[in-house]
Amino acid sequence: MPNDLNLNKPAITFTNVGKIYPGNPEAALTSVSFEIRDGEFFCLVGPSGCGKSTILKIISGLDQQSSGQVSKPDAVAMVFQTGALLPWQSVYDNVALGLKAKNTPAKKTAEICTRYLEMVGLLPLAQKFPRELSGGQRQRVGLARALAVEPQVLLLDEPFSALDTVTTEELHKDLYKIWQQTKKTIVLVSHSIEEAVALADRVMLMKAGRIEQIFNITLPYPRREQEAAFMHDVQNIRRMFFK
Amino acid sequence: MIQTKHIHRSHRHMSLNYAHSARQRIYGYVVVPMLLLAAVAWVITRFGNQTLPQWPHLTWGILIGAIFVTFTRLLIAYAFALVLAIPLALLINHSPRAEKILLPLFDVVQSVPVLAFFPVVILFFVHFNQLNGAGIFILLITMMWSIVFSVVGGLQVIPSDIKAAAKIFGLRRWQYIDKVLLPAVVPYIITGSLLAWAGGWNIIIVSEVLHTYIPGADASSDLFGIGSILVQSSAAGHQHDFFMALIVLIVFVAIMNIFIWQKLLRYAERFKFE
Repeated sequence: MPNDLNLNKPAITFTNVGKIYPGNPEAALTSVSFEIRDGEFFCLVGPSGCGKSTILKIISGLDQQSSGQVSKPDAVAMVFQTGALLPWQSVYDNVALGLKAKNTPAKKTAEICTRYLEMVGLLPLAQKFPRELSGGQRQRVGLARALAVEPQVLLLDEPFSALDTVTTEELHKDLYKIWQQTKKTIVLVSHSIEEAVALADRVMLMKAGRIEQIFNITLPYPRREQEAAFMHDVQNIRRMFFK
Repeated sequence: MIQTKHIHRSHRHMSLNYAHSARQRIYGYVVVPMLLLAAVAWVITRFGNQTLPQWPHLTWGILIGAIFVTFTRLLIAYAFALVLAIPLALLINHSPRAEKILLPLFDVVQSVPVLAFFPVVILFFVHFNQLNGAGIFILLITMMWSIVFSVVGGLQVIPSDIKAAAKIFGLRRWQYIDKVLLPAVVPYIITGSLLAWAGGWNIIIVSEVLHTYIPGADASSDLFGIGSILVQSSAAGHQHDFFMALIVLIVFVAIMNIFIWQKLLRYAERFKFE
């Protein structure tokens, strides 16, 4: 897969990017350079405070780099660790959030929301409220909300870290399917190396604001954690992680 | 397509329940308050300037009229308090500079007893013969602060992910206020309002017995209401009347608690973040 992707144009490029937060002597990012190809599934891993969330914030436009160049599309959307759904709005209205912000006509909004609610398997729950849903269902709503604005890049900020193993595995499968269907560029921040290896084309390991290493994962899908090749890739990354 | 239609329709049905549509908003924010104000104006012209009843003619009917007049003044003061407090809280939340200046100022104003602060303002109202205005002003000043502080607190605890989502999904300023900030502070508006009304009921006596601020005035300058009846019956030694008035007040406040505050506190649950 990464070989094919090399033919694609880059969706995101970081060139010597640095980030310093006021009042903090430690740089959050130090001359970070990498490229994410259009349609690639890219995963960021590393210990807490390594800068992976900072990269996501810069791509999303929530934050800006202190130095260096970033080239990225405007059309980005994000799925949050906590879901970040509005508790007073129905599943449908939550999914429609970005469309309403753009004053999309109601009919078109309904079409788009229906399409993505169906894609994440939540169409029957459109009129429920977030508090009536399970944790996994809420993350699906967050995913549909992000897809509904039809972004070029989909950012996922540890979206599965609060879920149980079974739910996480189901969501991995569905996310893979959605990636295949929509051909979006996906950037996933994860604290789980297994998750990264299960999903990504490439895994970027970060430490203390610098890129430690970028790993190509060439295993065919669906990837199974029990297979030797899978465990081998996980071990490779883990060795560098704890070095 | 069929499903799209279905969703679309049931979505509209939903919005009727949750006041999302524009028409619903117009009713909620304009028509209903207007009708309320009209009713209030009628009550005030009917009872507002009525002098206190001649003893010993105090009846349950007069007391019920009195409590509604007092309630109406509280309601008007509360409406103004809400209209002032929420934008103030949004301003404090929006600008760190406004917060630095306004918050300590409000703290001082809130801590000083209303009546030490405002005899001049009250005399201003009295000068223009707006006795009701003076009474409502005292109530307003008392009621406003708990709403301001409560809403400021509520704005500060909105999760950062929610704010980030609003930004990433492109909500513009008014959409952000309308779709995120205001719903998020509904529980805080309700608890702030509960405290505001408690403070308001506490101060009905001083807001009605106005002659104490007016040089050379007597009880004829007092406003008709349950507060002034309490004071005058007590001062005149009419203990029976005093207890009748007290019962009416207690029953009214209890009914309000059961039928309004309990319901609103339950309603607030749906606006809470988990």
